[in-house]
Amino acid sequence: MRTNYLMLGLLTISLSALTFTAWAAGQHEDSQHSANNAEADRTISVEAGDMWFDPEDIQVTAGETIRFEIINNGSLEHEFVIGDKAAQEEHRIMMQEMSGGHGDAHGGHGGHDMAEGEHGGQMPSITIGAGETKTLVWTAPSNVESLEYACNIPGHYESGMYGDINF
Amino acid sequence: MTRSNFISHPLSRRQVLKGSAALGLGSAMGLSPAWANPWGRTNVYSKGVEEGPEVSLAIRRESIPIDGQEASAFSINGTSPGPLIRLKEGQDAVLRVTNLLDESTSIHWHGLILPPEMDGVPGVSFAGIEPGETFTYRFPVRQNGTYWYHSHSGMQEQLGHVGPLIIDAAEREPFRYDREHVLLLTDWTFEDPMSVFRNLKTMEGYYNFQERTIADFFADVRQNGLTPTVEMRSMWAKMRMSSRDIADVTGSTYTYLLNGHSPEENWNALYKPGERVRLRVINGSAMSYFDVRIPGLKLTVVAADGQPVQPVPVDEFRIGVAETYDVLVSPEDDQAYTIFAESMDRSGYARATLAPREGMQAETPDRRQIADRGMEAMSVHMDGMDHSGMSNMQGMDHSGMSNMDGMDHSNMEGMDHSAMSGMSGMGHPTGMTGEQRNTLANGMLASGEAQPGSRYGQVGIGIDPNERRVLVYRDLKAFTPWPDRREPGRELELHLTGNMERYMWSFDGKKFSEVTGPIHFEKDERLRLILINDTMMEHPIHLHGMWMELENGQGELIPRKHTLNIKPGERVSALITADAEGSWAFHCHLLYHMDAGMFRVVQVS
Repeated sequence: MRTNYLMLGLLTISLSALTFTAWAAGQHEDSQHSANNAEADRTISVEAGDMWFDPEDIQVTAGETIRFEIINNGSLEHEFVIGDKAAQEEHRIMMQEMSGGHGDAHGGHGGHDMAEGEHGGQMPSITIGAGETKTLVWTAPSNVESLEYACNIPGHYESGMYGDINF
Repeated sequence: MTRSNFISHPLSRRQVLKGSAALGLGSAMGLSPAWANPWGRTNVYSKGVEEGPEVSLAIRRESIPIDGQEASAFSINGTSPGPLIRLKEGQDAVLRVTNLLDESTSIHWHGLILPPEMDGVPGVSFAGIEPGETFTYRFPVRQNGTYWYHSHSGMQEQLGHVGPLIIDAAEREPFRYDREHVLLLTDWTFEDPMSVFRNLKTMEGYYNFQERTIADFFADVRQNGLTPTVEMRSMWAKMRMSSRDIADVTGSTYTYLLNGHSPEENWNALYKPGERVRLRVINGSAMSYFDVRIPGLKLTVVAADGQPVQPVPVDEFRIGVAETYDVLVSPEDDQAYTIFAESMDRSGYARATLAPREGMQAETPDRRQIADRGMEAMSVHMDGMDHSGMSNMQGMDHSGMSNMDGMDHSNMEGMDHSAMSGMSGMGHPTGMTGEQRNTLANGMLASGEAQPGSRYGQVGIGIDPNERRVLVYRDLKAFTPWPDRREPGRELELHLTGNMERYMWSFDGKKFSEVTGPIHFEKDERLRLILINDTMMEHPIHLHGMWMELENGQGELIPRKHTLNIKPGERVSALITADAEGSWAFHCHLLYHMDAGMFRVVQVS
């Protein structure tokens, strides 16, 4: 994936290079689960409930770095995943399969690799237990028009637990 | 937005926008009830929706067309089934019911927690409503969700004296949606229900054209060998049943209706592609279970019997008589989808179309083969059988048995099968792979544990669980524990009993006319009700006035229901908080079973 990206970069040097940096930075922050306010252009507070996000959509500018503060006010565990609609759906199907049939819809969650998004990076994601608040720093890529933030635990997205990221 | 904004606006912003966008359709709707409006819930006023808190209902007997024929139905405010009654959580409901019939009537508000004298069961809650009288029901609305109402007098329910009852939540519900439709399933007969009942009592299998024949017998012998065939036959003979008695009243007399419309009339539920649609599915039938699916769409189950459950995406669900399920669907494409509700015995179906425009239809799926109780009996009967005989079973339909992999048959000894003379070994526990169950000091199972003999992981007869993902009781899981966390103080066991040939149905072998007094619950006690189905039919058991917390193995997150489906041979338990002082009906919700005697009064004092 990285190689592909670099080759693409050769074709459209400046834009691609910027995109790559942005994604890399975002991922670094995600995996560390650290939040460096100095690096974020702004903070967006998102409330996660059963089964919704508030707000239901946000407006971002390509290249800006956002510190998401996600507050889980629900009774259940939720996740906050950023990716395009197709990648979210792929992730959802995988999670449903992992949860394996009946009765224990949430059992398979955790410890899996995220499906890769369409745009070269892994989908930034974070899992928030009931009552917890977590942060995720993410830089908006410049090669997409819209993304979603979603909870793909089986049944949660289908109940309306996602929001639109508009560029 | 903050949380408090949502409390004042239970509909999401999108829903409100959709509602106002549909305002222009108002004039086109005419007199049809709004729940029958193909565009679903909007903010538009329509004569067919009776908005609370004050509602007046007039009950008549009149001639209305059903499936293109003149039918003599019970109507409520001029429609049959009746209008949607829409209340709001927190209201004080005032429901005036006027009897314009020449016989007594009543309305029971199914699933509602209310004072006993408002429950609407003649002879238990009140005297009934006599011709010319108006009875005023008054009660505080303390819950929300999808429910229904129906007559509890005679067999009026069979002839359309039913309707949907929706209670809007005071706070935000755990899902969001853009549009909603009520899907009320009923089974209509042009016969007089009394003669249906007489036919059932006097002629076994009157509506059952799927009896085994001598040709079937030889086919069985070819497939199974002579001895197993004779054993199976004698087993059925002892039970005075045919193995093809899936339902005792069938499509040979019933026309299955969805919102009062026959499959041929093809009622359209409209949507706009990309919307999330909430379907409030109510089984208001007298006798019929349905298997509901919409080919091409995932159904996400979000509520059972009006109570929210953690969402379960499925392809199909079985709905017992009197149950309700709320499901969400998200049709993305500009196309028609068939809403297909196949009767459990496969003798017919109700059908409507989810479509972006009126007049559309999609392919109607083929009905599945009639199931054979023999397979089910065998699947619950295995410890008594010589398993070597199973090698003869190649080529048979094993679909009903696929959940049995990995079962530990050694656990089955020591179960109480005394009531099942013909069928020792009925009922195998859920998850018999040797899992540990939590027991209390007094030897009873801890709250929420599945009873040995329950089959919450199985859908039941006639469904292949490997074909598609089908909802099972074990999937149902509450969001938070219910308020009463006490362990049960005692267990009360009741057997569901019957004799098909003589059409006798009862609890513990005694018809209602034969019992001497009510079942007693101590006021405020916490008890476990254990229901053991000694018959070879499903029974939807309904307790009035109090919730039953179904112990489906989900621990402190067990769901609560007003109606529990008990499969043949199954042992099902529920926790009850006996906080509702007074007399309450408790019965099988199959109308003719209730009338035959499968009915008791529960007294809380």
